[in-house]
Amino acid sequence: MNRLPPVDTGVHRLTHVSPAPSLDISGDQYIAKRRDTNVKAYPGRPTFQRSFSKPTQLLLQSTENYSLLHGILADDDSRRIFYFMILNLCFMVVQSTYGVLTGSLGLISDSIHMFFDCVALLVGVCAAVMSKWPPSIKFPYGYGKIDTLAGLGNGIFLMLISIEIVYEAIERLFSGADVSRTMELLVVSTIGLVVNLVGIFAFHGAHGHGHGDHGHDHDHNHGNHGHSHDHDHDHDHDHDHKHGHGHSEAETPLTASASPVKGKKAASGHHHGGENMQGIYLHIMADALGSVAVVGSTVLVRLTGWSGFDPLASCIIAVLIFASTIPLVTSTTKILLLSLNSDIEYNLRGILSGVAEIRGVAGYTVPKFWLEDIKKEPGHHHGHSHSHGHDHGHNHGHSHKDSDGTACSGGAEDPTVVGVIHVIAAQTADLEDVRQRVDMYLRSRKMDVVIQMEREGENRCWCGGGLKS
Amino acid sequence: MADSMPIPLPPRTPTPPPDEPTSLQSLPILEPDTPLDSNSLSPLHIEQREQMASSYFSPTTPDRPGPNANGAGPFNFQPATLAKSPVIKSNIGQRRGHKYKHSSVSHQIFLEPPPRAPLALPNSLPIPTFAECRASMTKDQNIRFYWSICHMAVAGYAAWNAHGSAAMEALSHLIFYDSLGALLCVFVEVLSNFEVWGRSSLRHPFGLQRMEVVAGFALSVLLIFFGFDLISHNAKHALEGIGHEPHHPHSHERVSPGTVDLTVILALVSTLISAVGLQNHARIGKAMRFAAMENLPSLLSNPSHFLTLSCSATILLLPLLSLHTYEWVDKVLSMSIALSMLFLGVHLGRNVGAMLLMSLPSKSESVAQVVKAIEAEPSVRSVDQAKFWQAHYGMGMANLRLRVVGPEEQLVKLRERIASMIRNHLSGGYGQGSTGQKWEVSIQFKVEIESAFSASHNHLVSGPGWTTS
Repeated sequence: MNRLPPVDTGVHRLTHVSPAPSLDISGDQYIAKRRDTNVKAYPGRPTFQRSFSKPTQLLLQSTENYSLLHGILADDDSRRIFYFMILNLCFMVVQSTYGVLTGSLGLISDSIHMFFDCVALLVGVCAAVMSKWPPSIKFPYGYGKIDTLAGLGNGIFLMLISIEIVYEAIERLFSGADVSRTMELLVVSTIGLVVNLVGIFAFHGAHGHGHGDHGHDHDHNHGNHGHSHDHDHDHDHDHDHKHGHGHSEAETPLTASASPVKGKKAASGHHHGGENMQGIYLHIMADALGSVAVVGSTVLVRLTGWSGFDPLASCIIAVLIFASTIPLVTSTTKILLLSLNSDIEYNLRGILSGVAEIRGVAGYTVPKFWLEDIKKEPGHHHGHSHSHGHDHGHNHGHSHKDSDGTACSGGAEDPTVVGVIHVIAAQTADLEDVRQRVDMYLRSRKMDVVIQMEREGENRCWCGGGLKS
Repeated sequence: MADSMPIPLPPRTPTPPPDEPTSLQSLPILEPDTPLDSNSLSPLHIEQREQMASSYFSPTTPDRPGPNANGAGPFNFQPATLAKSPVIKSNIGQRRGHKYKHSSVSHQIFLEPPPRAPLALPNSLPIPTFAECRASMTKDQNIRFYWSICHMAVAGYAAWNAHGSAAMEALSHLIFYDSLGALLCVFVEVLSNFEVWGRSSLRHPFGLQRMEVVAGFALSVLLIFFGFDLISHNAKHALEGIGHEPHHPHSHERVSPGTVDLTVILALVSTLISAVGLQNHARIGKAMRFAAMENLPSLLSNPSHFLTLSCSATILLLPLLSLHTYEWVDKVLSMSIALSMLFLGVHLGRNVGAMLLMSLPSKSESVAQVVKAIEAEPSVRSVDQAKFWQAHYGMGMANLRLRVVGPEEQLVKLRERIASMIRNHLSGGYGQGSTGQKWEVSIQFKVEIESAFSASHNHLVSGPGWTTS
């Protein structure tokens, strides 16, 4: 075990990097940032610069030339994942060399497993960075959904792993457990557990942003519950935020994605980077649980001599992992289906009936709307690349303002509804005039919709509109 | 224009709200008391229209006066209106009580929405439950379902008889993947019995058909997982030899050729049946094409089938080899299967993931050509936005915003030309018109006043601005 030092420095570096000041403060920061705008972001900036530790700053400087790596390190979340990945890699290298030297199968298979974890983490990191790439001709709606996609991938992967755990447990039950070298296994999985616990705590700060002091004393066994707590809390947080904002837009008409009933955000559960982080968090948690299972079952087998504890523990863990992955997979699937929730649907029905009332509009066909998912530099990233992030948002706003005079008061809080509609104009109406008014009407409700104009009775489009009946 | 003219206001019945009906801001959707029943056919919408005192007629209402009853003043009808439709909200859809269409003045001024316009609002379709799915299955679908279960059983059989042979283990993974693909096909077919699958609604703008894409992504994750799994198993077995003593004394015994043959032939047959009868990977295969495999016969040109068939054929030959080469070839084969599964999984995941990220994975290179061709159209000034993407396997979306000049007829022709150009260039190639995907092209024209400068078709090519949303 003379190879521990690299691991140790890794731990050191990690704790150094994510100081997790006091969570209340970080929560404040978060709110301040998301209420972003140019005024508020500035006081936030120095605190953020301060939170870069020495090694981080060094790394940031040295990676200026490599945009992907730099992007990883610049963002708070992805930096944490990245450092944890390096920690994992170090541990893996140590473990596998030791395993090969001593010829221990358990060590080797565990390090292979760790390697896969690292791959999953790498995917998560890349997704976190890529989700901020701007739209291009190839990806016309940006990469915003790649976060969700990574979360879905991670969730499915975890489900498969849990199924495989059960399968192997059954296999072991039939073939008889291998009870040699249990001491070694115990040591290895304890260290693995420690590494994963470090990861969990590092993520706890990143994952549940503005949440208070509960949850930090959670044991890993209850990590599951702690996690769901986080999730709820995020939602609450969003609501609060929305409330604070409500005054400024009391006059503007109801936006498509705002909830009509309460002050809550209709598109909640859609917070930035949530799915990706949740997927990675679950992955680390699953690993930690696996280590717990190995340690626990080994100890129990030693104490009682009944070898059935091992498969039993595996099955329990597998079920736990599987159950905790289901909500992630369903929520990501819903987003990727481009489905809208009932609040937004309700709003859209109202807005569409308003479209039909616009003068000159004889009808409409094929209305299709979905939520835009472009991550404009999320709030907590604001401090670092402030100018860049703001430019991005600004351009976006401008493209709205160019075409019509409406003030697009919205910030980043309500996602824009984008979509398509074919509007059928009456025989006597001027197409361009009708288009402009429909456009204005929709834009004032934060909808960015491509409006194809058709003439009533024309019936020359695939949508079958304009059919005079 | 119509608002500015002197209009005798239609009589106020007690029910309608006092606001001006055609103004844009008077959107009464915020009324908390208007009930929304998501299953009924847009009641909210119709109510709105009921309140529009200006423009109604319903030709099918039997108790209305004749069309030439212009002599009767509007006020004469008021008591009749009230008497005949005492509660307007109760008989939604019958459209009684609007007698003013042919009353003297409003007849010419107000534009009449066609009676089918409210129907155009997509009603929400129920998502079928499991029992409904079960009940809707036709006999053919039942057979397919049971067949895919059989296919899975073959995979299990292969896994069970794979002791010792790494290649057999790999093959069983492949068969399992195939069987899941078959099962997915069955599910897709069963779900397409329901309307919600294919039809667009507000809630699911692309139907549930995107679910198939998500499932395809899950399958690609499964392939990657299997690839990793096989590699780690192989690595473990390989390192076992390096280590102290092999744990499993049985690990190098040879499987009897008879079992191998039987299993492999079963695998071959079931793969062929699934491929021909169910076409289990056909739709996914359409999403990704390998240039190198285009020339192979139809079945083999699908990489998934190619992999399974070639591997099982190779394994069939394995028993002919001597024991030493057998072990060696077995390992190499298993490793290559694992690597090709990884490769296929990554490739598939990238393609399907791109579709989920709202991109156009299969024809991404010709998008730029199409945009160029559109820009070259004489009446197109500039392309403000060009978004081409694929909603699911069968449908592409093209949302364009153009600045154009010219009269209306010319623009209609231009629209049709662009639409057919997009269909020709982007849907599945020329030889396969029916298999290519459907394209929903929506073009928003912003008609500009033709100036002397632009009349010479000297359209300014816009910069990269068209990618901004």
